[in-house]
Amino acid sequence: MADTNTQAVKDQDKPLLTVDNLTVRFAVKRGGMFSKKSYLYAVDDVSFAVKRGETLAIVGESGSGKTTAALAVARLVNAAAGKVDLAGQDFLTLEGEELRQARTKVQFIFQDPYSSLNPRLRAAAVVREPLDSLTTMSAEEKQETIDRLFAEVGLHKEQQHLFPHQFSGGQRQRIGIARALSTQPELIICDEPVSALDVAVQAQVLNLLRRLQENFGLTYLFISHDLGVVQHMCDSVAVMYMGKIVEYGDRLSLFNNPKHPYTIALLSAVPSVDKKRREQMQRIDIPGDPPDPVNLPRGCRFASRCPKVVDKCRESEPELTEINGTHRVACYFS
Amino acid sequence: MKNSHNSPLLKVENLRIELTTRDGVAPVIDDLSLELRAGETLSFVGESGCGKSMTALALMGLLPEKVGRVAKGSICFNGEDLTTASPARLNEIRGNDISMIFQEPMTSLNPVYTIGEQIAEVLRRHRGMNKAAAWQRAIELLDAVRIPNPKNRVSDYPHQLSGGQRQRVMIAIALACEPKILIADEPTTALDVTVQAQIFDLMRDLGRELGTATILITHDMGAVAEMAERMIVMYAGRMAETGPVQQVIDHPRHPYTKGLISCVPHLLAQLTAERPPLAEIDGIVPSLKDFGRDECLFASRCERANEQCRNQRPPEVGFSAGQLSACWQAEDV
Repeated sequence: MADTNTQAVKDQDKPLLTVDNLTVRFAVKRGGMFSKKSYLYAVDDVSFAVKRGETLAIVGESGSGKTTAALAVARLVNAAAGKVDLAGQDFLTLEGEELRQARTKVQFIFQDPYSSLNPRLRAAAVVREPLDSLTTMSAEEKQETIDRLFAEVGLHKEQQHLFPHQFSGGQRQRIGIARALSTQPELIICDEPVSALDVAVQAQVLNLLRRLQENFGLTYLFISHDLGVVQHMCDSVAVMYMGKIVEYGDRLSLFNNPKHPYTIALLSAVPSVDKKRREQMQRIDIPGDPPDPVNLPRGCRFASRCPKVVDKCRESEPELTEINGTHRVACYFS
Repeated sequence: MKNSHNSPLLKVENLRIELTTRDGVAPVIDDLSLELRAGETLSFVGESGCGKSMTALALMGLLPEKVGRVAKGSICFNGEDLTTASPARLNEIRGNDISMIFQEPMTSLNPVYTIGEQIAEVLRRHRGMNKAAAWQRAIELLDAVRIPNPKNRVSDYPHQLSGGQRQRVMIAIALACEPKILIADEPTTALDVTVQAQIFDLMRDLGRELGTATILITHDMGAVAEMAERMIVMYAGRMAETGPVQQVIDHPRHPYTKGLISCVPHLLAQLTAERPPLAEIDGIVPSLKDFGRDECLFASRCERANEQCRNQRPPEVGFSAGQLSACWQAEDV
């Protein structure tokens, strides 16, 4: 089942989504009225790729730029530089009607199911909205699609007439998922899809996302700060710190053999119920706060908190370099 | 003082807290008993709406006025029953002997006062310190919670601090009077993992130094395993299971505890290509109006549920080392 599916998918070698040197910056005012404009580089020269039917997770702490990177891919914020190629289409240069058409290909599942559904629309209308604005389906086709989607995400047909406040958090997230699926997108960006949900409900939604991926060959860009969830969901991982990818690799290689001191510190900070892991794991402390994102240091951005830091790290920034097949690390010690 | 060496610092007996809702009176805490000894960490686990935070508010005497009330039972702190204590006496105890860290460090600090003033306020109120001494002590406390450069940071406003730093300030306020009990209600949910680890270290170290007993309310089993010695699993206002943390995790005796542990994707020591689906607990926590029925409230979500579960509230079944489970089939779980 799953294996044959992913095998078939792997035969198509070209990744579905290729992001090259993506940069997003925001202008910030600092100092007096005539002072020079300075920029905050939320995403700085980031490249990654996602194969069809697979999941790439972007992890990092708040402020690391993971959400901004995803928003830029979906054309919800403007990129300053870089290239996004989705199924052979140069996504960043699209304008007007072309862009509107292309929006069917990328859909978003948002973090907070309480604020991301319009409280004045009934559940069916929430799911119908993207169909109305992005497709040319007839009314019957739309209703058929909605019926099918409600069944897929595990909601009853009668619930279509309810308003968002009449659903529990998990059910609301299911509506969000149905809405994201409605235009049959190539890529679904899941931005912390379960972090607002109760633990028991998280499992339901994560299992649903995996089941849908298996059934429809969906491709996910999965953003999360919860490493346990990421470990369960992803096929490959990009670890971001201060707008840069510091480590990038496939699931097994990265989790079993993390190389970057930041990744190691992140993993060691996660509390675990596994007694063996707790005994094995040496906590790596990274004291202090990240540097000021507007005045970044010259060298490695992690240098100020890194337990392994040497002079060279403060002088120049390490490049993301390949250490084996798919695993890349931006650290002089890898 | 009645507090001899062996008697617990805090003893809650058969506590029942009722909330008045539109649908009538609902027991949000239903027959809860617990003991807490000095220096110990006890953890409350469960989904939202299970009564974890309500327990904390009851301990602090902060139940919502006119809506919530203690209907039965007692909360004995150092031999004194808090359920019958006067508001003035409760004011004396709160922040002094029992203090609390709230979930949201972003919203629980006052934005128009400097953090120094907010720490000093507690000291002046409870310890009768003068302004200068309290300010000096505030600086020492900021240093104790490892805020760099405390002399300058003490006159910062909350918005000038990061989330982790704000939570440290909250801890400084909570620990200012060296309380005997610290209640931490999801102290790290809004924080990043590396910051969470630092906050936990801090709570552990300070707890050890001051001999403070901690009640940690959380939904993260990993945090419980790392921080607490004993835990209470709450479900729909009732205690589902209690016992020593490692023992309960190794062998939970209640299907709900079991579900809570296995439904979360935990980081594994050695990862393999296998990825079985996560265990699910179907459904959601029952609504308040169903609380207090004479049945196992978990039955509707439980695979093992039978007629007895649906018709009679299960008693607490005892196991070794004080592990208790409120399940009709506890022996078989």
